[in-house]
Amino acid sequence: MRNKELQEFYIGWMEKAPVTFSKHIKKVLLLLVVVVFAAAILLAVSQKKFSSANFEFGTLTEVKGVYYEQPVPCIKVVNGKDIFGTSSYITIPLLGFGKMGAAGVISAAKKEKNTSFNQREMTLKGTLLYNDGKLLMQIDSNDKPFVHIGSVASADLLPKQEDLGLLQIKGEIVDPKCYFGVMKPGQGKPHKDCAIRCILGGIPPVVRVTNEEGATNYYLLLNESGGAMNEAVKNFVAEPVTITARAVKYDDWIVLYVKQEKGIERYSYLQEKFGSAIQYCASTCSK
Amino acid sequence: MSVSYSAVGWNRQKKHYDWFIAGFCVLYLAIFITVTAIVNPDYTFETALIRSTATLALLLLHVILSIGPLCRLNTKFLPLLYNRRHLGVTMFTIALVHGSFSIFQFHSLGNVNPFVSLFTSNTQFGSLSQFPFQSLGFFALIIFFLMAITSHDFWLHNLSPKVWKTLHMFVYLAYLLIILHVMLGAIQYETNPVFIVMLAIGSLSLIVLHVFAGNKEVKKDNIQYSLQKEGFVYVCEADEIEQNRAKIFCIGRERIAVYKFENRLYGVHNVCKHQGGPLGEGKIIDGCITCPWHGYQYLPANGQSPPPFKEKVSTYDVRIEDAKVWLHPAPYAEGTERPGAILNF
Repeated sequence: MRNKELQEFYIGWMEKAPVTFSKHIKKVLLLLVVVVFAAAILLAVSQKKFSSANFEFGTLTEVKGVYYEQPVPCIKVVNGKDIFGTSSYITIPLLGFGKMGAAGVISAAKKEKNTSFNQREMTLKGTLLYNDGKLLMQIDSNDKPFVHIGSVASADLLPKQEDLGLLQIKGEIVDPKCYFGVMKPGQGKPHKDCAIRCILGGIPPVVRVTNEEGATNYYLLLNESGGAMNEAVKNFVAEPVTITARAVKYDDWIVLYVKQEKGIERYSYLQEKFGSAIQYCASTCSK
Repeated sequence: MSVSYSAVGWNRQKKHYDWFIAGFCVLYLAIFITVTAIVNPDYTFETALIRSTATLALLLLHVILSIGPLCRLNTKFLPLLYNRRHLGVTMFTIALVHGSFSIFQFHSLGNVNPFVSLFTSNTQFGSLSQFPFQSLGFFALIIFFLMAITSHDFWLHNLSPKVWKTLHMFVYLAYLLIILHVMLGAIQYETNPVFIVMLAIGSLSLIVLHVFAGNKEVKKDNIQYSLQKEGFVYVCEADEIEQNRAKIFCIGRERIAVYKFENRLYGVHNVCKHQGGPLGEGKIIDGCITCPWHGYQYLPANGQSPPPFKEKVSTYDVRIEDAKVWLHPAPYAEGTERPGAILNF
């Protein structure tokens, strides 16, 4: 009698649920499993493609080249000559550990060795990160990155400068450490906070510009007098911006010397494409 | 419903429930991460983990918020409700993994404390498109944390059911924060419409379920009982109430359950002292009114839980005249013994 009574009533503290309840729940759970696992697959395949950036975490590499501090701390590595007999090289901007620039590591090493590093031949040890033709290196004091400091380099090894004049570009400010290797994604809204933190930590800001053909170019950002402008770009990181600046090519990197005022402005695709139409609508409606 | 607080007994149903949740979560994470790895060979595990835990926590939150209204619409869903707090704690744990990894990934190893960084990196609170969405997720996680640590009956008893229930109703604020967190974060990055479509389907489903369930309750509450005599209100015919079951009547904004048990009708307040479950949708088992939500029990004659338990509900006078049931809506003090109305047939 009691069992019959319980057939149509569920109590969680009993050992078994009534048959009608358990049958119903089994059907519901089966449906839930199918729907949710289908959702898992759909969500996973719908994600934006991950970039092919690489961060050689845990692997230290030694590179030999010429170190210089301007426009940003870099090491220029010459690796032979091309078919025309021209020196082939790559410039590797230096970054610190975590979300920090390399300045702290470099100044500590200078203090320790009590010497100037600028424009000297050097062997550096660090972790490489690379993407889209750009190579960067993380140096960490714990790894003793300054392996060998040689003599002052010959003038032909120093970066060749070319003034490209005034340039106006549209792009997104990213922190190069995450973008070129550490994070995926290293750009866009989800990464905005991290990019700001990296830039405020001293990592030089880079603007990423994709032209109409889909090719991407990268520019280092400095202020008009060649100083860091990390604080000044804080509120423009990871959003569409227009940058007006004097561009100077240093070997395989272009540096933009940006005026503090009006050098960087927010840019709206909608405003640019439909701005006049919006203005017309607004004025018509207000009448 | 205990006089002392001992470890929760894991009965067969509870074990099945928990094993299912664990298996479900592990399988979901495995599927998401494996598919991500296959489709995107350049993926990073940290990102896959952050995204898989985010989507799983959000899906679980939708399931959790659906259970209440589904049970109002169909009692066959009650087995999902009984251990819902286990699902809630699981969802919080997964959300915590997502939040912790995200804070580590995006805010640690910088020039300030990660929690300071969370609120000072992006300060564009006045911009919709650039809003610092991570802070919204953080506040939602705080709410889930408070709910998770108070999910045991120890806290229900010590905070009082009213305070406990109010605290746990903040889940709806947390849900809103999470929706904004997703809309102002990931949705602004991803270009595939699948994400926004799924989010819209989830939110709309919850709204529809809550509206339907609420509407069902409102309809019942709006039934007017106009026939009155000496303070008693005519509510139904005696044979409309099944043996060992009840009917619920809402008189003057108060819900009263009238139970039929051993040739008598008893009136008790409809709200269970545990979590506000509808006692009138329960059943008399072993001589006790048994709440359909968590099985709390009360004696029909005095509204008291059988000793040694101490929960009490208000009782009401019921009268039968010519097989018609009359109910007096004035409550007696909780636990007051009433004789009940004797059925004459």
